[in-house]
Amino acid sequence: MKKKIISLMMCAALAMTALTGCGGTEKKADNGEINIFVWTEYVPESVFDKFEEETGIKCNVSTYSSNEDMLAKVKSEAEGTYDIVLPSDYMVQSLIEQGMVEELDKEALTNLSNIGESYLNPSYDPGNVYSVPYQGGVAAIAVNTAKIDKEIKSYDDLFDPSLEGQLVVLDDYRAVIGMTARSLGYSMNETDPDKLAEIETKLLTLKNNVKLYDSDSPKSALISGDANVGMIWSAEIALSMEENPDIKVVYPEEGAYVFMDNWMILKGCKNYDAAMKFINFMLDTESAQLVSEEFPYLCPNTAAVEAMGSDYSENEAKNPPAEVISSGEYVENLDNETLEIYNEMWTKLKE
Amino acid sequence: MEKKHSSHQFRSNTLPALVMVGPVALLLVLLVAVPLVYVAVMSFCTTDEYYNVVFKFSLANYGKLLSPDYIKIYGQSILIAFITTLLCILIAYPFSYIIARTKSKRKQLFYMLVIIPFWTNSLIRVYGWRTFLGTNGWLNNALQALHITTEPLDFLYNQGTTVLGMVYCLIPFMILPLYTAIEKLDGSLLEASSDLGAKPVKTFFEVILPLTASGIFSGSIMVFIPCLGYFFVSNILGGGNSDVIGNLIERQFKSGNNWPLGAALSIILILVTLLLVKIYKKLGGDMDSLGV
Repeated sequence: MKKKIISLMMCAALAMTALTGCGGTEKKADNGEINIFVWTEYVPESVFDKFEEETGIKCNVSTYSSNEDMLAKVKSEAEGTYDIVLPSDYMVQSLIEQGMVEELDKEALTNLSNIGESYLNPSYDPGNVYSVPYQGGVAAIAVNTAKIDKEIKSYDDLFDPSLEGQLVVLDDYRAVIGMTARSLGYSMNETDPDKLAEIETKLLTLKNNVKLYDSDSPKSALISGDANVGMIWSAEIALSMEENPDIKVVYPEEGAYVFMDNWMILKGCKNYDAAMKFINFMLDTESAQLVSEEFPYLCPNTAAVEAMGSDYSENEAKNPPAEVISSGEYVENLDNETLEIYNEMWTKLKE
Repeated sequence: MEKKHSSHQFRSNTLPALVMVGPVALLLVLLVAVPLVYVAVMSFCTTDEYYNVVFKFSLANYGKLLSPDYIKIYGQSILIAFITTLLCILIAYPFSYIIARTKSKRKQLFYMLVIIPFWTNSLIRVYGWRTFLGTNGWLNNALQALHITTEPLDFLYNQGTTVLGMVYCLIPFMILPLYTAIEKLDGSLLEASSDLGAKPVKTFFEVILPLTASGIFSGSIMVFIPCLGYFFVSNILGGGNSDVIGNLIERQFKSGNNWPLGAALSIILILVTLLLVKIYKKLGGDMDSLGV
């Protein structure tokens, strides 16, 4: 009997240990906390520290590596898990259409005047009701001029057979298919099946030229010399130019793939005022400068651009010329059938 | 009276069993059964215009699995897995044989050398290979410094490097079961074989190999199956040029945003796994050495 009692007690003890860690202390959202969900490698730690210091509001930061990841995560978590997100143009539109975001309080956005006129009132959120721009960029062309003699001026040049095995391109189907469409003079958001068939034929000729697909850090392949031409984000080119001065940035003649990432507040945000304070803080000149120092993407904050001087404004990779932006095209949301065609050709390219 | 008896029985028999097995069973249900059912259900769903999964029964996802583009990738995947498994056997067998049969005191050390790399995340180790093999990597620099080559060689971003990465990541899974099988080998059988006049080669093929076949089988299963799914190896070392089934699944869950199709692909992978394990069992494989 005694043995049984002992064994029973031991079982109970075991069961208890199995359950430890289940309870834990529930984190209470006190007034001074916001949960921020941003792109990885995009918002420097120093800005969050500065914000915390100035306002006493604590920032809990998590990161994602694609708009779709962000959307899936936000949907699968309880409302209020994330207060602030940083989606790109087409995702902004999608979040608005799905009613997932709060309107921004214009009164609280005292720093909005820092943003250049041309970056306001975008097609994906007319009147900036729900979003304000953070940073943007271009899927531009990088050329290592020491290794490549051919003059490259357009997306179309990337298909030249002489570039066999030389390219690093974004591992992003909308970017690569979009670039192919632009090289044929079509829209990046083409839906016409005949044109898509034409795009596919051309896309598949790119296969021999691509050495690798990389979205996470495409600059590494350029810097290490594994690839000598790239179709990658402009800021990645800017960073690779700092390592290797032979690398040059080229903006395609056909008009480039451009993007803009934007601050938004999600429905169910527990601390709206603090979130607004944060967004306004990000529009501040000094914050934008801190950001640009570390992640030199296109900065829509004209006041900050002025303050940064020629080091930023005269660097074409950091600061793409205005006509590149105005002649560029955003990715748009497409219907499921078209996306499926896009996915199919992407699979064909990569098989 | 009857009731008292049964409650006593519950306390003495069922309760301890429940307390001991319950938590594990609960974990298994929560972490294995529920996700599996979830994936299976999702594979029959569709998506709406915002990529939300809609619970509307459809077989369309399974229909898409038969598209020629996908079949090409299955083929490529199986080829990569097959070559990887073969290379793992060829490398791991002599190695395991030596460490299992050695009388040296360093036996434990050799064994540890296989296990220690496990303590570093495989992602980091695979990135290490990329740095090592790159155009300006150590290997190319060394070859040029030794005047073996004049121009840097292109090692990276093809099926060969993908296979290399797979072999590198998965070889411990081949060594460990082989080691166990070879260690169990009865030395007196080898002596008997040689006493009866068999040459070493004959002894190997007619005594050692059949007796260690179970190790080869279980090692092959444990290398072949993950190989179909290790998308990060083909992403990092293959540069996206040698996709395996794992890449297809990853793409549907991430950029493709078609979770139901990704789920259907996962189900296929699970079925292939079950089939292989079934064949293994049928051939007399020992389930314990698979760790299941």
